[in-house]
Amino acid sequence: MSVLETRDVSIRFGGVQANRDVSIAIGQGEIVGVIGPNGAGKTTLFNMITGFYKPDTGRIIYRGRDITRLPVHARAALGLGRTFQNVGLVKGTTVRENLVTAQYLQADYRTISGMFGSRGSVASERRLRQKADALAEVLGLTELLDTQVAGLPYGTLKRVEIATVLATDPDVLLLDEPSSGMGPEEAHQLGDSLLELRNMFKLSIAMIEHHVPLVVRVCDYLYCLDFGQLLTHGRPNEVRNHPQVVAAYLGEDPDPLAVALEAQLNALVETE
Amino acid sequence: MSDVLQRRGLLIGVGSAILLVAVLWITDQEQSIVIGVVTGSAYGLVALGLVLIYKSSGVFNFAQGEFGSVAVCTLYLLHTSGVPYGVAVVGALVAGALFGFLTERIVIRPLFDAPRVIVLVATAGVALLAIAFQQWLFDNQGRPISRAFPTLDRVTVLRVQISDQRLWLIGTLVVLAVVLGLFFTRTNLGLAIIGASQEPTATELVGISVRRLSTFTWVLAALLGALAAVIAVPDTGSFTPGIMTSGYLIPAFTAAVLGGMTSLPGAFLGGVLIGIVQSVATNAEIFQDIPGTPSTLIVFLVLLAVLVVRPQGLLGRSA
Amino acid sequence: MSVVAPDRAVAPVAPAASQPFRPSLAGWLARGLAWAALACLVLILPLGRPGTDLRLYAIAACYAIVALSLNVLLGYVGQISLGHAAFVGIGAFTSAYLVTVQGQSFWVGVLAATAIGAGQALVLGGVSLRIRGLYFALITLSYGLVAEQNIFQIQEFTGGGAGQSAPKPAWFESEWRYYYLCLAFLALVLFVDWRMMRTKGGRALLALRENPRVASTFGINVRLATLFAFGVSGAFAGMAGALIAHGDESVSADVWNFRLSLFFVTMTVVGGLRSRVGLVIGGSFFALLPYLIEKIPGFEDLLARVPGPVDLTPEYATLIIGPLLLLINLIRFPGGIGQQTRPLQRWMTGHRFDPHDRGLKEVQITDVRA
Repeated sequence: MSVLETRDVSIRFGGVQANRDVSIAIGQGEIVGVIGPNGAGKTTLFNMITGFYKPDTGRIIYRGRDITRLPVHARAALGLGRTFQNVGLVKGTTVRENLVTAQYLQADYRTISGMFGSRGSVASERRLRQKADALAEVLGLTELLDTQVAGLPYGTLKRVEIATVLATDPDVLLLDEPSSGMGPEEAHQLGDSLLELRNMFKLSIAMIEHHVPLVVRVCDYLYCLDFGQLLTHGRPNEVRNHPQVVAAYLGEDPDPLAVALEAQLNALVETE
Repeated sequence: MSDVLQRRGLLIGVGSAILLVAVLWITDQEQSIVIGVVTGSAYGLVALGLVLIYKSSGVFNFAQGEFGSVAVCTLYLLHTSGVPYGVAVVGALVAGALFGFLTERIVIRPLFDAPRVIVLVATAGVALLAIAFQQWLFDNQGRPISRAFPTLDRVTVLRVQISDQRLWLIGTLVVLAVVLGLFFTRTNLGLAIIGASQEPTATELVGISVRRLSTFTWVLAALLGALAAVIAVPDTGSFTPGIMTSGYLIPAFTAAVLGGMTSLPGAFLGGVLIGIVQSVATNAEIFQDIPGTPSTLIVFLVLLAVLVVRPQGLLGRSA
Repeated sequence: MSVVAPDRAVAPVAPAASQPFRPSLAGWLARGLAWAALACLVLILPLGRPGTDLRLYAIAACYAIVALSLNVLLGYVGQISLGHAAFVGIGAFTSAYLVTVQGQSFWVGVLAATAIGAGQALVLGGVSLRIRGLYFALITLSYGLVAEQNIFQIQEFTGGGAGQSAPKPAWFESEWRYYYLCLAFLALVLFVDWRMMRTKGGRALLALRENPRVASTFGINVRLATLFAFGVSGAFAGMAGALIAHGDESVSADVWNFRLSLFFVTMTVVGGLRSRVGLVIGGSFFALLPYLIEKIPGFEDLLARVPGPVDLTPEYATLIIGPLLLLINLIRFPGGIGQQTRPLQRWMTGHRFDPHDRGLKEVQITDVRA
């Protein structure tokens, strides 16, 4: 049984059918890639999976449970973690604060008792900070714990974001272009990191990616979207040589309206 | 889908207006309708300005009332210095527009990238500053101010006298609502203003100065506020410092929310409805037991009701 | 056990200090003296003043609580109440009514005022959160007027023209004891605020203010967290109202109006959002302002010389200065007093004195476009 799947999800914005009948599945411990040209509807799909959009039709199933109607924070509580194209962090504070904030669901004291400085809350806070420090070490961020997020270089931000999403104690990770802005060596490193993290934290991962070598090396399965629909899917080596996939990437120009619309909508999701 | 919702909203609005009129007729309150339409026109004019600013700058402009108060004060000062009424009116409108221009340049422009809540607080500060100046200038006293058109009983509808002044008020509102509605949907400038609020970067890329548009919009909104004040306030015979904010701003905001903060015709409809509601609240027997001023409470409850039942208002596009 | 190879770890942006800064002996002495001076100023010096002054200082402490209350809304969550005079005023009348008319004790009155303050804020907040945007501002503006024109006209509640009396509690009848009592409440509010921001509730607020979508992926129920903040803000406001009522020993209806609400906003913003020190200074400073102004020699004459049809009295001057300060603050000094005093603050808590540390990273009013 898959950990997470979408069944024929479709969504329409104004005049554009952003996704049509898309069905993907992520198995336990798998790393699944979602590829396709810009404007193909990949981030929109992730937004539906995580709860920022409600699909017009179709369902989203997590471990056999229909979560299509659940709000975003409830899906996070179930174990869906997600990164954003524009880097989803609280930029006005430090790395450590982000890591601690992300552990919101693991702070096992009542908010009120925290306000009055109860012993339980103090102890719980200490545990949260310890976990934050441990996570930072795993991703080589220990020296940056007290640095403001706002000034950090882009590549580092991506690592902080991964540490932060890991802090939410996820079961399934949805990564939106984790290697964007990285050169080939860094991307290779990222691939290694993802494999190790998958094993260390028992994760199942879905990632939107453009970096073909990374995807081929790391993913167990690929889904290719184009114009909001599933073009093909299969093992990486089959898919990358599929003639339509090659054409989609190299041939036609992506629909500019769809690209612009998707970018705008997804930017709204991330910056609000 | 939002068009269906809008049409439904229009039906609800018109339907409830008809229902309200019928109820009032049966209970012998039909005068409230007429009075309501008149005062509601003033609210509608102010609400038009509020919706305009909201559509373009994304903020609730708490200084909208004071654009009008400043105009009324100028009208009074000019007229009592011997300037002919018509010229004084023009001067008043210019003063209002100028105030709007200065507000946009000195306060709104520097806060272009600030969170909307900060801009909101700033507009409230501008309003309070204007009121403080008026209180000083007039020693916190009211002053009498005369109408432009002396004929008081041009028309009598349902035993309510409609003065020339009031006819002008209603007429101005209708004309402006139509003109502005067309402006924002048919002209390039109007569409640019809407576009700039939603997508400032794209607008700049196309070569339109977002900043110039912002100035234009605020001056236009200020003119609307000034117009509303200059026609409506003299009809009551006198004014006090901050009259537009104390007397008109909250009902105008409620009208805008009721009509839909993103809808210009909605501001018109909302204004008239709120005017009627307020008139009923002031006169109807059942509300007389409410301590203090019944209409204040009723208008507040209408605001709550709209936000609970149909947050996007009657004609607004989406919540 | 790092997933990232050591040579790949990025060097920190700021040079790592070899050791945290420790003040010298002289430094410790200086800091100790500063703290002693502060304690003297707040705790000892007022005792030498006449009772009327002490009453004023007590009210100033209450205004500081109001500033902290508004800060929860504006500074932590990014919402604004334009009717806070109503929350505070209803708290004042609630306590006065319960004590005078219903014969309850002061402590019951304060508790009830706190609860009712929270309740109002929760109801109004709940309605306004249904739609995205700043509708809470509209609702509270309208609600403020309802309080002014309807609620405070209820004779049994507000005692009519003469106002409602609100005697001080037993043990605290003298002005200086009541002043200490208010200081104690202020300390409590400061403590609760501090702890809130250091625990999950406060972190949730800061996250959702900047980036509500990301906050919800952390499992934060944004709507609930926002409501929680409204409740806290309302509670502080109600509490302050009750304390003010018993401080003045009477409450009258005509002071709780829109102008007062904007006054509260001004003192909060000028004090400095998200800076507890700034807020306390801002609140107390503005409370004491009318009296400070009287003390300035020749100020009244200076004002009278300003040209105008009417003399510019100190009253009109303060009416004009208030919003002017607010605007200047918003446009030019977003961090308020708190930002300016931050170097001193850091010094007093054992850090190096750094005049350039304006705490800008904390006080960014120009955050994400809401």
